Amino acid sequence: MKHIKIHEEYCIGCRLCEINCLVKHSHTGKIIKAFKEESPRAFPRIRVEEEGCLSFALQCRHCEDAPCVENCMTGAMRRDKENATVLCDEEKCVGCWMCIMSCPCGVIKREKKTRRIASKCDLCGGVDEPVCVAHCPNEALTYE
Amino acid sequence: MSETLRTDYLLIGFSVSSWFAACALREEDSSGRILAVTEEDRVYSRPLLSYVLGNRSNGMTYFGDVVSENPAEVWWNCAVEKLDGPGKWVELADGRRVAFGKALVATGGVPVFPPIPGAEGGGVFTFTRVDDMERMAAYIDQHDVEDILVLGGGFIGLKTCEALIALNKRITLVELAPRLLINMMDQTGSRYLEKALLKEGVEVVLEDTVERFERKENELCSSVLKSGRSLPHRLAVVAIGVRPNISWLAGSGLQVNRGVLVNAHQETSCPGVFAAGDVAETMNMITGERSVVAVWPEAVAQGKVAGKNMAGKHKTYQGSLPLNAVEVGETAIVSAGLVNPPDNGTYVTIIREERDVYQKLVLKEDRIVGLIFVGDIEKAGIYVHLIRHRIPVDSFREKLLQPDFGIISLPLNFRKHMVEGAGIEV
Repeated sequence: MKHIKIHEEYCIGCRLCEINCLVKHSHTGKIIKAFKEESPRAFPRIRVEEEGCLSFALQCRHCEDAPCVENCMTGAMRRDKENATVLCDEEKCVGCWMCIMSCPCGVIKREKKTRRIASKCDLCGGVDEPVCVAHCPNEALTYE
Repeated sequence: MSETLRTDYLLIGFSVSSWFAACALREEDSSGRILAVTEEDRVYSRPLLSYVLGNRSNGMTYFGDVVSENPAEVWWNCAVEKLDGPGKWVELADGRRVAFGKALVATGGVPVFPPIPGAEGGGVFTFTRVDDMERMAAYIDQHDVEDILVLGGGFIGLKTCEALIALNKRITLVELAPRLLINMMDQTGSRYLEKALLKEGVEVVLEDTVERFERKENELCSSVLKSGRSLPHRLAVVAIGVRPNISWLAGSGLQVNRGVLVNAHQETSCPGVFAAGDVAETMNMITGERSVVAVWPEAVAQGKVAGKNMAGKHKTYQGSLPLNAVEVGETAIVSAGLVNPPDNGTYVTIIREERDVYQKLVLKEDRIVGLIFVGDIEKAGIYVHLIRHRIPVDSFREKLLQPDFGIISLPLNFRKHMVEGAGIEV
């Protein structure tokens, strides 16, 4: 399977990945509407971490031995059979937060839909290139 | 006596630790017979029950591959009456005997039900199994129940409240201790939880308990508390605790204490017989003491270790870490490890407290050994990872609980190897 690879030496901390991730996961998919009109506002499934002059963008690593999958008590968090992506089935998730407690990277968030569910990077639903990678101006994220 | 049946591997009980044990067994042994026997009539996810009761889940089906692709042959409605560990056989309730090569005791827990006058005659429930949930849901419908008493402010009591809040019932939660979630919360954390419950209309009564239930025309109508207070309610849930289901193991040859004693390979005192999940008494990875840690992630880990060792591999369990999460209204609450350390100078706590956020870390020397997060739980998993892997935090101690704390705060040689898989390191 393809992975989003993090190149911290190229990250400039611009947070364009966060903005594009938010827009991609908003209702309208339009940047101004996503920020000005949607309530609650969508949130990014990626987090830029910074310390001094070092920075990198971090999203679900789709771990090989994913603790969120086996610690999910509904089976909502699962590994896609075809492309090995770790995905959360929103219909089955009940929001027990065992995945949040199990994620070593802390990249799963609570999202309020009709009920609260776990939300994380879905690799933009199987596109050729996730938006965080596509919009990174300095190839600090690559999809390979 | 009827004929003796034979299996290579026998799993007694078929819930989460058995599911994972069966898969681990099959990874190592492609042909051995794996037989699971359970007194229940279907497979389901036990912690989902409260969500089903609260109409927050479509059902209690567990959708994971460990069930849909489980290699075990399962005998339903099939209770085990007796185990002979050294003799390596069990006797089923219908009198049949099954001889085994290796066995896993995974019979879970049973609710503690103290003798309370007036409890007999309907309306008083425990809530750990699917039939409890179905009977309770039917009772609520048939009796138009609006007022409910939940006795016990532990994890099951809180999960019950979560469900009943979703059903818009009037709830009174009664707890004997001076705080809720006595083992996973401190006084401050409990106050946040009490506030969240109050906001959802739940009345919390601490340092009190039910002395007797009262009935009118045989129907449950109220309870009288130790303080003398009377509370009207048509239904009561007794959720004061769960203990390992070991009474059937009398005479089995297995050493038991509170639960079935196991070593780091999940093997009991009787070679070839293993135990895992809520029935097993394991080593607590923080305190080093033996305890029963009845939570899903530990049942998974123990089941996997048991399965591998049953198949002849050598796999070691890292010790149990108590860990849980509840959510009341908008407030999410998680805790892990040791959260109420003894006041002996060995432990240090770091605290972040804001209006809707409370975070506490407990440190022993240079390791984190426990945490409570209320309100802001997103990065809890990072800290749990540091606890599990016993990572020294001295080099980044001042960053702990800071809003910008993250993977970037961790030592390079640790963060580069913290997730498994090629090309995905952070």
